Amino acid sequence: MILASSPHFSSPITTRRLMANVLIALAPVSLFGIYLYGFPALLTIVVSVAVALASDAGFRLLIGQKPRIDDLSAVVTGVLLALVLPPSTPLWMTALGTLFAIVVAKEFFGGIGANVFNPALIGRAFLIMSFPAAITTWHKPVGFSAALTDAVTTATPLNIIKLGGTMSDVGKSFVASGVASNTDYTTVLRTLFIGSHAGSIGESSILLILIGGIFLLLTKTMDWRAPVSMITTAFVASWALGMDPVFGLLSGGLVFGAVFMATDYVTEPLTAKGKLIFGFGAGLITVLIRKWGGYPEGTSYGILIMNAVTPFLDRLIQKKYGYVAPRKGAAK
Amino acid sequence: MAIKTFKGGIHPPERKAATTGKVIERIAQPKQVVIPLNQHFGAPNKALVKTGDSVKKGQKIAEGAAPGPMTVPVHASIAGVVKKIEPRTQSNNLDGLCIVIEANGTDETEFMPPLDAFSCTKEEALTRIREAGLVGMGGAGFPVHVKLNPPPNKPINIVIANGAECEPYLTIDEATMIEFPHLVVEGLAIIMKIVGVSRGIIGLENNKARALGALEKAIAEHSHGYDISVQLLQTKYPQGGEKMLITAITGKEVPSGGLPMDVGVVVQNVGTLKAIAEAFMEGKPLIERGLTITGGACKTPKDVIAPIGTVLSEIPDSELEIDENRVVKTIFGGPMMGVAVPHLNIPVQKNTSGVVLMTAEEYGRDTDEEGPCIRCGRCIRACACRLSPVIMNNALNTGELEQATAIGLLDCIECGACTYVCPARIQLVQRFRVGKQLLRNKRASQPKTNA
Repeated sequence: MILASSPHFSSPITTRRLMANVLIALAPVSLFGIYLYGFPALLTIVVSVAVALASDAGFRLLIGQKPRIDDLSAVVTGVLLALVLPPSTPLWMTALGTLFAIVVAKEFFGGIGANVFNPALIGRAFLIMSFPAAITTWHKPVGFSAALTDAVTTATPLNIIKLGGTMSDVGKSFVASGVASNTDYTTVLRTLFIGSHAGSIGESSILLILIGGIFLLLTKTMDWRAPVSMITTAFVASWALGMDPVFGLLSGGLVFGAVFMATDYVTEPLTAKGKLIFGFGAGLITVLIRKWGGYPEGTSYGILIMNAVTPFLDRLIQKKYGYVAPRKGAAK
Repeated sequence: MAIKTFKGGIHPPERKAATTGKVIERIAQPKQVVIPLNQHFGAPNKALVKTGDSVKKGQKIAEGAAPGPMTVPVHASIAGVVKKIEPRTQSNNLDGLCIVIEANGTDETEFMPPLDAFSCTKEEALTRIREAGLVGMGGAGFPVHVKLNPPPNKPINIVIANGAECEPYLTIDEATMIEFPHLVVEGLAIIMKIVGVSRGIIGLENNKARALGALEKAIAEHSHGYDISVQLLQTKYPQGGEKMLITAITGKEVPSGGLPMDVGVVVQNVGTLKAIAEAFMEGKPLIERGLTITGGACKTPKDVIAPIGTVLSEIPDSELEIDENRVVKTIFGGPMMGVAVPHLNIPVQKNTSGVVLMTAEEYGRDTDEEGPCIRCGRCIRACACRLSPVIMNNALNTGELEQATAIGLLDCIECGACTYVCPARIQLVQRFRVGKQLLRNKRASQPKTNA
């Protein structure tokens, strides 16, 4: 007879189940990335996941702890990092970035649940700082038909705008790399939404990201507050700063970051109010970097900076049931 | 009818189908009963009988060692001879003094005379309730007469009958409302008379809507002119928690550290109401109760009425058959708030609402090992008291008892919803129970400075 304390049964939703849900939600964008870029994309994902698992288990064994890779969180970090990298990233760089993400950003802080910053974003930030050229080289999608390294390098839509280009320049670039047949505004937006243009492996298809997001909402895996707040803020801020808000929404990593990175349980605030403020801050910082920063894209840093604020936002707990305001001057 | 509810809560599987719709069976008189001396929340009792004494069914066999409001007597549930008075394992897993009575095969009865609650004084009525040994039968075992006698500065304006029965598996409250609706309504009218209110509401979750017809018919015939109505509530755990029930029905929140009477409400479980009605109409003390005996390892799931003190293991196979090979957990009460016991050699008490015999599949956990918290916030969304269990747990883990208290440790009703939803299987509610105990110990050891 088992004599554990109540409650005497539990929800079937375990940590492993939640991580599996995230992986299911990431499947469409991952497959689309592989479809766009062929073997390099596939290998990036495979290497990243393999190194994530090996470094997670290896580090914990090294410090004499039981490995926790069966909770699938290392797989999630591996996939996330791969999806925010350009497909042409050398595999050893990918491996190094993943190692850094898992060991430094996650395990040094105490492992799952204890890290302050999103490990995948730290991995990406580490690679951008270490290898700025490689991590900002973008190739037009060629699928499995040709070697990616032979393909034309191209600028991302955000890059074009950052360098003073217009929407029609973005359209021309799309036509030049053969991902669109027309340079008009609607075609540009449609191409951006479908995501068949140059970019990171998994960030470009807004459509598929949203499908993943809807799956996470329906399975109650993620909370809507941080992503909705982040996207709304970015939209309004872009518009207020005189940028095209629809373009801002559909390009770069904003939606991917909002759906998959700003909803990382460990590094987003716990409370409802905290999540809203977190999303607001991340969206605002993203736009400020896009407008005035040195990088064309600011999503990663927007989220990472707000990660640092999370412990403070966790203080915004809701008023408890039957809350009675303390009487002024009452004895302690 | 608008279906009401509260904010937060969870939807565990109901698992009530095995006993729903079955007629309540009366368990045959056992050969012996084991009656715990103390079955109420309050000051301890002393035995009024000694080994070798003959007792009649309904005879008072224990009462408060010292006179005081927080004592409730205990009565013999069968006629027979006192064999032993000794410590036995009780349903709270602690050993407590029990009076063992061996049946003499007769049905000699010693009830009180019937009393008309609607013509007697309030004092007479409260004395009757206390003398009948009535405690809250929903689980907590709080003395009924204390609840019905709030101080004069706490006016009561509504009485709520708790038929929510939000615990999975349990169906005895629903069965009671369907089979004894007249007693439920009579009991409600009696306590409305005692506390002097005109409005009474029977609250039940909408998965028990089939009791609606019986209750409405009984209201038409037995309401004694009081305004009694039925309110359907959303099926959600812990809808039957006193605070959640009050908020769902009245919209008011019981203030932190306060009691239902602070918002003018008295709540009683429907099973208690039936017992109250019987105490007045038949003079019958609380010597038997309805309970659900169920679970995947129970081959004969049903709602029963059993004498208080009936030992589970002594119920004959013809009435209760257990799949010994499959039972992994035996729970007195429901699976959310009940107590797991080591064996079945334990008596039914006044607050035993059910016994659940769980199989490994129903238990569902492959491991009891806690994982690391991933800060998913599910516990916060599940908490009906709008606490932040994860933050309280972190504070307790680092020994910051005062910090945990400041954010609501003492407001936790220990419903277990946070623990049920935790994907890392962290035993949050158990930590809070321990934390409350640590706090009590700490406060007890501190000298009182404010006079």
